[in-house]
Amino acid sequence: MTNENIVELKNITVTFDGEKILDRINLAIKDKEFVTLLGPSGCGKTTTLRVIAGFVSPTEGDILFDGKAVNHLPPHKRQVNTIFQRYALFPHLNVFENIAFGLRVKKVPEAEIKKQVTDMLKLVNLSGYEKRNIAKLSGGQQQRVAIARAIINRPKVLLLDEPLAALDLKLRKDMQVELKNIQKSLGITFIFVTHDQEEALSMSDTVVVMNEGVIQQIGTPQDIYNEPKNAFVADFIGESNILDGVMKEDFLTSFSGREFTCLDSGFARNERVDIVVRPEDVDIVPEKDAMLLGEVTSVTFLGVHYEIIVDIGGFKWMIQTTDEQKVGDKVGLYIEPDAIHVMKKSKYSGMYGDYSTFSDEIEHLSDLEEDEN
Amino acid sequence: MNKKRTDFAQKLISAPYIVWSAIFIIVPLLMVAYYAFTDKSGAFTLDNISGLSRYAKTFGMSLLYAAEATVISLIIAYPLAYFMSNMKAGAQRMMSMLIMLPMWMNFLIRTYSWITILAKTGIINTLLSKIGIGPVQLINTPGAVVLGMVYNYLPYMVLPIYTVMVKIDKSLLEAADDLGSSPISRLRRVIFPMTVPGIISGITMVFVPSVSTFYISQKLGGGKTMLIGDVIEMQFQSSYNYNLGAAISLVLMVLILISLAVMNRFDDSEEGGILI
Amino acid sequence: MKHISRIYTALVMVFLYAPIAVMVVYSFNASRSTSVFGGFSLKWYAELLNDSSTIEALENTLVLAVLSSLVATVLGTLSAVGIFSMKKKWAKTAAMTVTNIPMMNPDIVTGISLMLLFVFVGQMVGSKNSLGFGTMLIAHITFNLPYVILSVLPKLRQTDHHLAEAAQDLGCTPFMAFFKVILPSIMPGVFSGLMMAFTLSLDDFVISYFTTGPDFQTLPIKIFSMTKRRVTPDMYALSTLIFLSVLLLLILSNVAQARSEKRREGAKA
Repeated sequence: MTNENIVELKNITVTFDGEKILDRINLAIKDKEFVTLLGPSGCGKTTTLRVIAGFVSPTEGDILFDGKAVNHLPPHKRQVNTIFQRYALFPHLNVFENIAFGLRVKKVPEAEIKKQVTDMLKLVNLSGYEKRNIAKLSGGQQQRVAIARAIINRPKVLLLDEPLAALDLKLRKDMQVELKNIQKSLGITFIFVTHDQEEALSMSDTVVVMNEGVIQQIGTPQDIYNEPKNAFVADFIGESNILDGVMKEDFLTSFSGREFTCLDSGFARNERVDIVVRPEDVDIVPEKDAMLLGEVTSVTFLGVHYEIIVDIGGFKWMIQTTDEQKVGDKVGLYIEPDAIHVMKKSKYSGMYGDYSTFSDEIEHLSDLEEDEN
Repeated sequence: MNKKRTDFAQKLISAPYIVWSAIFIIVPLLMVAYYAFTDKSGAFTLDNISGLSRYAKTFGMSLLYAAEATVISLIIAYPLAYFMSNMKAGAQRMMSMLIMLPMWMNFLIRTYSWITILAKTGIINTLLSKIGIGPVQLINTPGAVVLGMVYNYLPYMVLPIYTVMVKIDKSLLEAADDLGSSPISRLRRVIFPMTVPGIISGITMVFVPSVSTFYISQKLGGGKTMLIGDVIEMQFQSSYNYNLGAAISLVLMVLILISLAVMNRFDDSEEGGILI
Repeated sequence: MKHISRIYTALVMVFLYAPIAVMVVYSFNASRSTSVFGGFSLKWYAELLNDSSTIEALENTLVLAVLSSLVATVLGTLSAVGIFSMKKKWAKTAAMTVTNIPMMNPDIVTGISLMLLFVFVGQMVGSKNSLGFGTMLIAHITFNLPYVILSVLPKLRQTDHHLAEAAQDLGCTPFMAFFKVILPSIMPGVFSGLMMAFTLSLDDFVISYFTTGPDFQTLPIKIFSMTKRRVTPDMYALSTLIFLSVLLLLILSNVAQARSEKRREGAKA
C-alpha cells in the first residue's frame, strides 16, 4: 500500500535562525506523478524541494523514498536529480561533458557514455552541439542541457526548481509542453516548483499550494481552481471576488445584503464564512432579472474580454464580460448557484478579494519583485 | 567638430602615461639588452652571453629550488584555500586578513627571524636537545632556502586560489552532489578544474620572485647556495660588471617568459588573460 | 572534516606567524643576542628612539611613499581613463602589455634595468653619482603605476557609460562630466590603488636597492645593510612597532567597514 508513494514527507519542519521556514509539511507523492509546488516567493516551496534533494536537512520529521527513511542520506546517494533554477551548468565543461557528468562519476564505460549522451542530445533536440561551450548557448538550449544532464541518470524522481523562470514567454510555453512530453515518455515522477499559477494548472497532475511554510491545499488543478480551501488559495489561483458571508443553512447562504442558493452544505447554522465568486462566473443582466445592482467604476479591454469593476454597496467586484460597459453605467448581476463557492473562515479571511485598490500596474510591479527573489 | 575635440582630448589623457612607460619601462629593458651585448668600452660583443655557460649550474639550481618552493606552496595552499572557502563569511574575512598581514611586515626582517628559529643554538635545536636529539644542521642548507621561499610567498599562492574558489557558484557544487559525486570526486571534477586560473596565477606569483631572489639565499643559505639572483646582485653591487649582470638578467627574463608561456597553455579558459 | 580543517588552518598560521612571534619576543630581550633570550627589557625601544639615522630613514621612507603613491595615483587614474577609452584594439592590447611588464618581471630585473638607464644617462651628462632620491622616486612611481591602473580599470568597466552622456545632456562639458560623474564613481578603485601603491612603496626593497645612492636611505635599505652584519634587537623593536601600527590600522578599517555594512543593512530593513 505504501509502495505506491515514491516520496513521502512526514511532519517536516525546517528552522533557520529560529525562523520556521517549513512548518509540519506532510506530502505523499505517487510514482510517475507530475506534482507542482506552487506559492509566492518565500513560501517554502524551494526549501521543500531541497529537503527532498538532500541539500537541507529537516529540523524535525522524516523523508521517505519507497517507504524507507532517507533523512541521513547525502544528496549524491539519493535517487533524485535536480534541474536548478539557473541551470548550474559546469562552465569548464562543454555540452557533451556536462551531460556525461553523472555517468562519468559512476564510471560507466566510455562507449556506453557516448551512446547515451548521443541519444539524450537527440531527445532534447541538441544533436550536433556536443563540443559547444555552454556559455555560447541560448537560455532555451541551456535549459535543454540541464534537462539532459539530469535525466540521463534515470532518476526515479526529477526535481525542477523554477526551471522556466529565466525564459521568455513564448519559449516558456514551448518548454512547458516539452517537459510534459518528456515526463510522460520517460515515466519519471516530476516535482516542479513555480510561482506561476498558469504553469502549475496547465502541467500538473497534482498541485500543492503553499504559503508561509504551510501547505494550504493539495489537489488536482480543477480542485484547486474550483474548490479553493481558503481565501489565500482562491486569491493566489486566478482572480476572485472574496466576500464576507453567512451560511444560513445547507444550500443557502447570504452575502452582499441578500440570500443566494448554493451547492455547499455541512456548515453550522449561521456560521460566518468566506464566499468566492470567480469574475467569469458573474453574468451581466437587465436590472429586472438582477440579483445585485451596482455601478461600473472602471473598464479595461483585454482582447478576449473586458475586465470591469463594479461597486456594489462599497465592495468592488471584478467581472469579466464580453459586453462593453461604460464607467458610470448601472448594471445588474446574476450569479448561478454553482458559481458560488463557500469556504471556512481562515487566517487569510478579509485580506484579499476586494478590487477597490486594484490596478494592473501594482500587480505588474509585484510580479517583477517576485522574479527578482 | 565637437566629437573630434573629445577624441583628441581622450588621446591627450593617455599621453603622459605613454611617454612615461616608454621612457621608464621600455627603454630600461632596451638598456639591459644594450649592456648585455656590449663590453665596458661600449663595443658590440657576444662574450657576455657566451660566458654564461659558467652559470648553467646556478641557473639550474635556481629553477629547481623555485620549482620546489612553488610545488610545496601549492600543496600547502590548496587545502587551506578550500577550508577557507567553506568557512562562515566573518571567519573568511578574518582569515584573509591573517594571511595578508605578514606581507605587510618587512620581508628582510621576517626572513632574518628564521635564523633565530633554525640556527645551531636556535629555537628548534634547543627544543630538540631537550628530548636528546641534535643539534641538527638546519640553517645554511638548500632546505632552509626553499623554506624561506615558501614562507615568504605562500600568501601569493593562497589568495588567488581562494578568490577563485569562493566565486564558484554554490549551485554548481550542489549540482555535482545531485549528479552523484562524492566529496572527493566533486573536488576532482568540479572544484579543481574551475580553480585552475587561480592556481596558475598563484604559481606565477610564487615562482617569479623565488627564482630571482638573492636575499633569502644569502641569509638562510649562508652563501653556500648561490642562486641566479645572487650572481646578478654581485655584478651590480660588488664586482661592478654591469655587462655580465645585464646578460644574466636578460637570460633570466627570457627563461621566465618561456615558463609563463608554457604555464598559460594549461589555462585554456576563455579569459586566459589573467597574466597579460 | 571540521576538525581537520581547524587543525590544518592553525598549523599554517603557526608557520606564518612563528618568525613574527620570535621577532616580537626578542625585541624585549635584555641581552644583545637575537638567539638567546636573556630576560625582559625595553632598552632596545629606547635605543631605537635615540638613533637619529633610523628616524631619518623612517622619514625618508614615508616621504618617498607619499610622493610616489600620489603621483602614481594621479598619473595612473588618467592613464586608466585613457586606456579605457582607446578605440583601437591593438593600441589597448599594447598599452595593457606594457602595463603588465613591471608586474611580471622579477623585481631584480626591473631594478637593474632602471639602474642601467640612470647610470647611462648620468654618464652622458657627466655626473659621477646619478643615483639618489630622484631616481628612486621615478622607480617607485614606475612600479606603482600598474597597480593603480589595474585597480581603476575594473571600476571604469562597471561604470554605466550613459552616466557621462547623461551629464553632458544636462549641460556639462566632457571635462566637467569627468570630475562630476566619472571620478566619483571610480573613486573606490582610485583609493584602493593609492593604498596599494603606498604600501608597496613603503615595503619595497629590491628595486630601491638598485636605484638608490649612498645619500638616500630608506628603512628597508637600512635594515638590509644592518642584516649584512649582526642584527641587533633594535631592528626587531622597530619591526614590532611597524607591525603593531599595521595591525591597528587594519583593525580600525575593518571595524569601520563592519559598522558601515551594519548601517546599510539597518537602512535596508
